[in-house]
Parts: sequence; structure tokens; C-alpha cells
Amino acid sequence: MEGKVSWHHRYPIAAGFVQPKEEGSLLLPSWANITAVLFTVKKTTIAHPTKGELKICLYFGVWMRIEPNLAAGHKVEHLALCPLSVSSNSSSPTSPAIPNAESCESRVGKAGSPSLENMSIVPKETIEVIAQSIGIANLSSDVALALAPDVEYRLREIMQEAIKCMRHSKRTVLTADDVDSALSLRNVEPLYGFATGDPLRFKRAVGHKDLFYIDDKDLDFKDVQLHLIEAPLPKAPLDTAVVTHWLAIEGVQPAIPENVPVDVILPPLESRKLEHGKDDGLPVDIRLPVKHVLSRELQLYFDKITELTISKSESALFKEALASLSTDSGLHPLVPYFSYFIADEVSRSLNDLSILFALMRVARSLLRNPHIHIEPYLHQLMPSMITCIVAKRLGNRLADNHWELRDFSANLVASVCRRYGHVYHNLQSRLTKTLLHAFLDPSKALTQHYGAIRGLAALGPSVVRLLILPNLETYLQLLEPEMLLEKQKNEMKRKEAWHVYGALLGAAGKCLYDRLKMFPGLLSRPNRFTWKHKGRIATTMPNGNKRKSVASNHHSTQQPPLKKLAGDGSVNSMPVMPAMSNAQSVADGFGNNALTDPGIRPSTSTGRLSSNESIPGGSRREMGNSRAPKTHSILSQAWKEDLDAGYLLASLFELFGEAIFSFIQPVEMSVFL
Amino acid sequence: MDDEDVEKALFAYLKKKGFWQTERALHEEQSRLSSAPQSETALSRSERGPALYHDGYSKLRSWAYGSLDLYKHELLRVLYPVFIHCFMDLVADGHMQEARAFFQTFREDHELMHLRDLQKLEGILSPSHLEDMDLARSLRHSKVSIKLCEYSYNLLLQYLQKAQSFTMLEVINEHINFEVSSVQPVSISDDSDVIALVGNSQDLAKQVNRKEVRWGQLLEDTVEERLEKTLSDSEKVEGENKDMDLDDNKKRSADVGKQVAASKKLKKDKVIGAVGKGVRSETSTVSLAPRVKPELTLPIMPSEVEQSILDDLRNRVQLSSLALPSVSFYTFINTHNGLNCASISSDGSLVAGGFSDSSLKVWDMSKIGQPAKTVSMQGENESSQNEIFLGSDEGKRSYTLFQGHSGPVYSSSFCPTGEFLLSSSADSTIRLWSTRLNANLVCYKGHNYPVWDIQFGPFGHYFVSASHDRTARIWSMERIQPLRIMAGHLSDVDCVQWHANCNYIATGSSDKTVRLWDVQTGESVRIFIGHRSMILSLAMSPDGRYMASGDEDGTIMMWDLSTGRCVSPLMGHNSCVWTLAFSGEGTVLASGSADGTVKLWDVTSSNKTTKMDDNKGSSGNRLRLLKAFPTKSTPVYTLQFSRRNLLFAAGAFSISG
Repeated sequence: MEGKVSWHHRYPIAAGFVQPKEEGSLLLPSWANITAVLFTVKKTTIAHPTKGELKICLYFGVWMRIEPNLAAGHKVEHLALCPLSVSSNSSSPTSPAIPNAESCESRVGKAGSPSLENMSIVPKETIEVIAQSIGIANLSSDVALALAPDVEYRLREIMQEAIKCMRHSKRTVLTADDVDSALSLRNVEPLYGFATGDPLRFKRAVGHKDLFYIDDKDLDFKDVQLHLIEAPLPKAPLDTAVVTHWLAIEGVQPAIPENVPVDVILPPLESRKLEHGKDDGLPVDIRLPVKHVLSRELQLYFDKITELTISKSESALFKEALASLSTDSGLHPLVPYFSYFIADEVSRSLNDLSILFALMRVARSLLRNPHIHIEPYLHQLMPSMITCIVAKRLGNRLADNHWELRDFSANLVASVCRRYGHVYHNLQSRLTKTLLHAFLDPSKALTQHYGAIRGLAALGPSVVRLLILPNLETYLQLLEPEMLLEKQKNEMKRKEAWHVYGALLGAAGKCLYDRLKMFPGLLSRPNRFTWKHKGRIATTMPNGNKRKSVASNHHSTQQPPLKKLAGDGSVNSMPVMPAMSNAQSVADGFGNNALTDPGIRPSTSTGRLSSNESIPGGSRREMGNSRAPKTHSILSQAWKEDLDAGYLLASLFELFGEAIFSFIQPVEMSVFL
Repeated sequence: MDDEDVEKALFAYLKKKGFWQTERALHEEQSRLSSAPQSETALSRSERGPALYHDGYSKLRSWAYGSLDLYKHELLRVLYPVFIHCFMDLVADGHMQEARAFFQTFREDHELMHLRDLQKLEGILSPSHLEDMDLARSLRHSKVSIKLCEYSYNLLLQYLQKAQSFTMLEVINEHINFEVSSVQPVSISDDSDVIALVGNSQDLAKQVNRKEVRWGQLLEDTVEERLEKTLSDSEKVEGENKDMDLDDNKKRSADVGKQVAASKKLKKDKVIGAVGKGVRSETSTVSLAPRVKPELTLPIMPSEVEQSILDDLRNRVQLSSLALPSVSFYTFINTHNGLNCASISSDGSLVAGGFSDSSLKVWDMSKIGQPAKTVSMQGENESSQNEIFLGSDEGKRSYTLFQGHSGPVYSSSFCPTGEFLLSSSADSTIRLWSTRLNANLVCYKGHNYPVWDIQFGPFGHYFVSASHDRTARIWSMERIQPLRIMAGHLSDVDCVQWHANCNYIATGSSDKTVRLWDVQTGESVRIFIGHRSMILSLAMSPDGRYMASGDEDGTIMMWDLSTGRCVSPLMGHNSCVWTLAFSGEGTVLASGSADGTVKLWDVTSSNKTTKMDDNKGSSGNRLRLLKAFPTKSTPVYTLQFSRRNLLFAAGAFSISG
């Protein structure tokens, strides 16, 4: 045993198990399990079935500590007991009459099985050891046996008194002081040496699982002189003070740092430390500055975030900032500043795409933050978000991928509608009105149309069904010329038109998919073999052949980009159909486009597009176009009949050609074909 | 030998004569006889005693659990007393191992209801302990009475006879008194009778509780009444009051300055007070409570104090379930786990803390409130700087240190004017301090053990103390000897409270009972049984009719003083309820707990219904929890409603909980 016997180890310390019972409170230690009686202290963790975990330290002497692991006050459920110290003042400090470790262990080892004569918690061996320690060498075992239960009884008594003292000190943790005062209530000399406010630190004895001791270093006198006397005095502990705050004002808890944040685990950020008057609905009777004073931390935070947004939106730090914005609870005072900042910057930097993107990300993070009450500022945020969807020009360079921004903002706005739509009933109606207006106005630029379509599509398939599909045919008639090489010589315009086409395709397809979902038998049949098989059948069909021939001809490299553009939207909005894309890759030549990452595709496609003059797919498109008038009657009928899915598919097929199949499971496709 | 011979001869004779039937009957009778003596010998305790207890009890238990649901609850009640008496019988007979094994086997059944008692009883390890321990002794020497309906009583008797478990019968005969009634069986075993088994106190309680308690408000004009009078011609009086106030201010500007400052602080709720005024006049006329004469000669209130009280009352916020109070929280920081108690003066301007290092510290919040507030307004890093700065600049503490005790200070109490402060300590003394002179005035010695609680009376001058020596004592400020000693509790008296009319005091004890004592006679007039653990806090409703008590488990109970019955238990806290406070007009009860919450309870709902159902005697409804305010890891040590119904709370911030 390594623990050195220093002079105030006069009291031997016993160790034992405290076993958790199956249920209910703790079971007192069964001392049959004692592994060692030593100068040790037992500290064990007990899983308490209802109260969490309790740590129990057993000391020698009558002193025990129950440390709750959780912050909330635990009851002292039970007394954990340990042998009573028979303190001996006669034992001289220089030669402590303590039996050495081995002998103790061996003795206790013998008492391994629960002896029937001794049912008390304190085994007679303990009494013998204590007797030895105070110099009574030959205590008869009968005496020890008789003493043991009484020792336990006295111990319990003292612990009960100690618990009373603990209660009157308004504590839920028993300390050495409580035991001392309990002892003094009984006119017993208190135990010296444990009077410390801090919990004692225990060390585990090497090689023993259940053996603990207090690490009590022997100090060299020289060291004492050097380190303790000459060392500067440690800081005096802070003096007790009283601070006041409002726990509640007319029954409402103000959200001030002194109060518990409402259902929030404390975030690490210190910017929570706001000053008093930050909460909304603050009653009048607090004399606080009415003007909005931001703490310096918050100001710094705001400055940093805005700086990052403007200048370093690509950095990893900005990502961190976004994470912070979406999780921290103390940001509420900054919300008006942020919403103003976003609105202001959006209007100012319409031709800097990266800033716009960063701003939208900031907005998204703020919207995601569960602790922020953002509703009052939505009116400020919505216009800027809608601007980012339907603005005529976003960014100043040709290569700027403003499509992505529009998509992003459209999803953002849609999420706002979903979240706050029930609070502000006209929110969605106003939004759809704005978008529809942009969509139906032929004088608006194609980019605006694109944004409007994406915005509407993001609002869900029913919006698409009600607002886009009825106008689809007429709109496609307008769009068709823009997409064709012959009619539209401006390559930019043509590209834009293809984008719009893609968006329409995506929206319509999603709507169709939504309708088809109503046929559960069709969608939920995951028979791999059949659909593969059917997919092959599809390839043998006439237009499949045609596609193949197109794909295999010289222009095969040029065709995909445009289709990709068209498919762009569908993939962004339709990540739900991996099987579909798989099947498609069998079915047609360019199907695997759908699998390519939407993040990289735009740049490659634009790059390719710039080197590419002819669009061979046009012929087929023309055909579809010419077919459109014939099918008009069917179409209108189909929509009138509340869109039977089959009719819808048929009509959409007429409008979009095979591209619409990417939204249908191959099984159904085969059914419809 | 002879018997056998005779038998043989007899059987031979019967066989010879061919009396087959007689022979068979004889055989049967013989075998029956031979088995009977065996069981009788088994009864002798010396041989199989412990096992008999075990078997008998386990059979009884399984029978009770298997009985019809209708009678089950009643029959289960019998189990606990049988259980503990079996255990104690075993101990008394010296069967230690068996007793312990028996206890461990069946302990779980009763843990839910009687955990604390079981913990105590578990310690009994030798016959001598039975006499040593109060609980065991009182249990052994008294009978428990259990209410049973006639049918279940018969069921029980039949079972005991049939099963021939005489041990159980013996135990039941010896220790249980059945009150057989012909009513329907009680379905839910939530009866207080089941819970408390505190020996003879049950009978005593019944006897005691027959006495009359005149719980009404005082007969003589209270300040509140005078207020109502003045309100009738309010305009004029208000003007006068203002003048008076001014005069007063001039007169005692120096010494009462802090009070004024505090009342300024309170002016905040004046706005709301104005709203509540209209309601006030209505409710005050409603109070038809009986009036009683004061039995103590009450101190005469100085007119200026009365004036300020009047002022406060006029501006009182009317609280209800819809209008909740504002709570101002005083947090003690850096207490290093040393804060034992806190108390707040009725105007909230003074806060006292009693510490385990024997010191008593008083903060004048009207003085330091301002800097404290500015500190808290700035960021955290600044605040610490500020504190240091503050300390070094002023060169003194922010509080007044009262030193004199020689043991942990367990309780402190301000007199209604805030002029005096009492503190009680583990050194068994009570000290009276003057907050104006900042000095110790008197040291009251009388208790022999730590004084756990001290309370000034509602009019000052008199105070009551509670101690580990199982007594509560009434004192007056001018005498160093107690006026009355209330003895009767079976364990420590842990908390005391004055009744609103000063004629009674209530004491809560570790024996899990609350008692009401007549101040004049010093006799116990009510015993309230129902708590399952040590009582930690008490509060009296301002109309004097109800009392709330909080215990170690977090249960709060509302008692009707006149009937001595529990109106309703309030469950909600999950740790010790350190403090309770009624609002000024008694509509809201606030409770503070070690679980770090302040909870507000609607008390009006029950009052109304009980008033209506008085003759029916049913009080099934539960009082409502209005609101819970969690603090930031700060157990709530004390609560105090100001006269304007602003709630002050105090507690020590503890990081580890």
C-alpha cells in the first residue's frame, strides 16, 4: 500500500461495497464483500434507478458524503455506513498502532462468506481492527460481535442527526461539518482532519479495484518554506455579495441572463450576457433605458458577422458563423440589425452574386435559429428574399450562376411559408401573387420567369397544379421559340429559355410525381427485376430508338448540356428517385446526367455551351410543339377532371416529351406507355 | 406403551367384531389427532418462531394482494403495521438474522409510503435498541387504529382463522385497533391515517383536535380596516397622507431613510395597485371571518409606521390566478456553501444571511441596490472588475457584519418594521440585533440545543423559537426568559410560524406532524398528521383559516385549521420545500424549494369550494399550480411578500447544486 502513514492518519479507514439494489433506494453495504480494511476510503458510484447517479464516499470515522452527479439537489436517500472510529488520543503520532495492510486483508479475506452470526453492517472484524488500532490487542470475538450491531445503531443515529443539521443548513449534500455538528449534539468530540469545504480527493490504490485513499503528501520542511511561506499569498476568496434581479414580472419571467434561459441548454457563447431590457413585452414598471443598448460582445459579434458576409463568404469561418447564427440563443437583440443589414445589402449589391448568396445564407441561419423570435422581422426579410428569386439581374458577370441563388432563395421562402404560414395567413397568398405576377407577365425577362417558377414550385405540388399547370401550355408556346436555335439567335437568351424549360419540367414533374404517389401499388413495388426489364422494353420503343440514334450520332456531346440544364431543376428538387435515374440510365443515352452533382454541373454545362453552336434536339421539340394544339382539348379536359394522373401524364408527355418520364417509376411508365 | 397396547387390542377387537366403519373412523380420527399436536408444537416460538413470522406474514400478504379490488386497499393497510411489529417482535426475541432477512424481504412493499420510518427502523439491531429509539418505543407501546369496513374486517378474521396463522393474529390483536364501520370501503388509500403511524399521537391528535380553534382575524381595528375607513373619504385623506408623509420624512429622515428608499422602489407596482384598488373594496367587504380578541397584549404601533403601512396597503397589487406577482430575487453569491438561512424585511430593503461561520450579514438593498444593478447591467468581465474596484474604492464591505454567535446561524427574522433582527444559532442562543445601531442588543438563553428556527410575531415584540430540544418557546423582546414553552413534539421542532391573530403558533417537526399551540395556555390545540417526512416550512394564510406546510420530499399540504384536516396536498416540488409565503390577501401561495424553483399556487379555488362544501365535507379538488419560476441553480431559501404584494425571494447561488 503506497499511502504513506502520515501523522493524522490515526484513524483507520474502512472500505467496502455499496451495492445498488435492483430498485428502490440503495442497499446498505454488505460487509461480506469487504476487500480490505485499510487506511482507505471507499468512493463508489451507484446507479440509482430513479435519481440518477450518486457518488458515495465512505470514510472511516463517521463521515460520509453523497455527491450528486447532477446539479439538481438530490435527496440523501440513505445512510451509507462505515465503521465507527474509536478515536484514540493515546496512540502516539510517531507510532500509529495500525495493522499493516496484508494482515488486514488476509483477515477480512477469511470472513469472505456472510457469516450467519453477524448480520450487522459492521462486521466484527472491523471492531477487532479498531481495537487493535487503539492498542487493545486481544479483544475477544464475542465482545466484538456484541459491539458490532451497537456500533451500527449509533452510527445510524449520528447520521440521522447529521442529516437534520444538513437540512437546517439548507443543503442537500451532506458534509463533514454536518457530521461534526451531529457529534457535538451528542456531546461527542468531533472528528478532526476532515473539516474542509472542498470535497476530498481520493486516489485509487494500485492493484486494488475498490481501494481508495486520500492522497496526503508528506512535505519537506524546506519545500514548505520555499513554496508556502515565501510564495505570495493566494487570492482571497471573493466576499459574499447579494445581487438582485427580477425572477418574474407580473408572472412572466424576463429573459435576462440571471434567469434560466427558456428551455435552452446554456450555449457556450458568452454573448448571451445581455443587459436587462432586451426582452419583448417588458412591462413598463422597470426603469430601464428605453433605447436599445447592445452589449459590446454583441456589437463585436455583429460586426464580425457582417464583415464575414461581405468579404469572406467563402471562408470556413463564415460557415462557423452561420452555424453560430443558427444555434445561439442570445442573438435575439441582433435580429433587427441583421434583418436591416440583409435588406440593405441586398438592395445595394444586386450585382454581386457572392454577397447575395452569403446574405441569403445568413437569412437562412437566422430563420433556422429556434431561439430567435423572428416573426416581427419577416416583413423586412421577405422582400429581399423575393428579390433574390425574381430579380431581373443578379450578379454582373455572364458566368455568375444566379440560377443557384434563385433556387436557394426559393427554397428559403418556401420554408418561411411553411413555418410561419399559419401565423400570417396572407403570407403565402401574397407571395404566390407576386410570383405568379412575375410568371405570367410576358414582358418580364426569362430569368424572372425562372425565379417565379422555382418559387412556386418550391411551395409545393398543389401550388404548381393550381397556378402553373393551367398556364403551362400557353407559356410553353411562348417559350418554345426562345429555345430554338433558328428562332433565337442570342445564345444567352436561349440558355435562359432552356433553364426556364427545365424549371417548368421540374415543377410539372414534381406535381406529376405527387399525383402518382396516390397510386401506392405502383410506387411501392420495389421489384428490381421487373423494372429493369421494363426499362429495357422502353429502350426498344420507337422514340427510344430515336433517342438512341440521336445520342449515338456526332452531336451526342453537344446535346446533353441543354438537357442537363433542363434536368437541372428536376434534380435539385427531386432527389427522391434514385431508382428512377438508375432506370433511366438504362433507358436513354443521357440518363446518367441526372446523377451528376448539381454543384459542378452548371459550370461545365455553361462552359460547354459556349463552345457549342448547334442544338440538334430541336427537331424533336418541334414535333412536340406541333402536336400540342391537337392535344389541347384532351389537356383541358384532363385538368377539368381534376387531373387524373393518367391524363396528366399523357398531357405532360405531350408537352415535355420523354423528359417527363424521369419523374415516374419505370413500372408505371411501362403501364402508361 | 400402554396406549399402543390398548390401541392394538382395540383394533383387534374391532376387526374381530367386523366393525369396519368404526375402525376406519377411528383411524381417521387418530391421524387427525396426530397431525394436530405437531402443528401445535410448531407454534411454540422457541423452535420455529422466526419462520412462523415469515410464513405468516408472506401468506397474509399474498392473501391481501389477492383479495378483491374493492377491499384490497383496506386490507393492504393492515400489512404495514403487521410488518413492522413482526420485525420488532423478531428483534425483541433476539432473532437478529431472521429479523433482518424478514425486513429485507418485505421492505419494498412499504418503501413508497413509509420510506423514512423504514430507514429508521432498519437500524434496530438489538432488543435494547427498541427501547432506545423513540419511534420504535412509541410504536411498541401504542396501538395503531385502522379503519375498516365491516366486510373486510370479517374477511380478515375469517382468513386468519382459516389459515390458522396464530402469530399474525397475535400481532394484530396486540398492536392494531380496528375501527369497524358499516360504510362502503374506502377505495383509495390516500387517507392520512394510513400514512402516519406515530404511535399514540394518533389518539392524542383525535382528542386534541376536538378543541376549538378561533382562527378568525383580530377583533380590534386592524390597519387594513382602518385603511378601508380612510378609503371611504379617500380624496381628503390622501392629501393628508401626503402631508403626513412629508412630515414623517423630515422627522426621521436619517434613520428611516432606507425604508423610504425601499418604498420608492416599491412605487413601481403602484401603477398596478391603482388598478387593483377597485377590486379591493369589494373583496374586503366579503371577509366575514369571525373576529377574535387578542390574547396577548400587542405592542402599540408608532403612528408613522402605521402610516407607511397604510400607504403600502393602499398600493397593494391585487393578486389572483390572472394577476401574478412580480418576483424580485436576491441572489447570494460567493457564499462558499456557508449560507444557512436568509431573511428579508417586509419592505424588501434589508436582507440578512446567516452563515455557518457564526456570522450574520445584513445587506441594505436600498443602498447597494443601485450599484449592484449597474454592475449586472454590464457584461460579465466588466462586472468582476467593477466589484474589485468597488471593494478597493470604498475599502469596506457592502454589508453589515453582525458577530456574536458561536455556532452556525440557522435562522433569522426581521421584525415588521425592519428595525430589529433576530438570529438563532447552533450555540443554543437567540440574539436580537438592532439594524439602526448595527449592534447586538440582547442574547436570549433558554434552549439547550441548537435553535433551528426563529420567527417574529406579526406585530413584532413577541417571537417564537424552535429547537432541537423538542420545544418551541415564546419570548418577548424585553425578557430574557421565555414566556411559554411548548413541549409535546416527539422529535426536533424544525420550524415555527405565527398565526395571523397572534393567538396561536404552529410548529413543524421531524416527527412529521404539525402542531398548533395556544399562545395563552401553551397547550397543543391541533395536531396535523399527514406528512411523510420532516416538516421544513410553514405559512399561515392572512385570514387565519388555512395553513400550508412543506416537507423534505417536496410535498406541500394545505390545512384547514378549524377542522384539522388536509385541504389538499400540493405536489410539484421534487426537493425540500425551504419556504412558503402567502400573498397579502391570501389568494396566492408561493413556495421555494431546493430544486431551484419558485412556484405559485392558486389558493382561492380551494377556499371557495371548501366554503361551499363545508357541510358536505368533501375536499377532493386539488389546488392549482399557477406558475413555476426556475432559477439558475439557486435553491430558494426564503420568500417574503411585501405589503404591496411584491414577492421577494432569496437564495444562494451554488454551482454544483
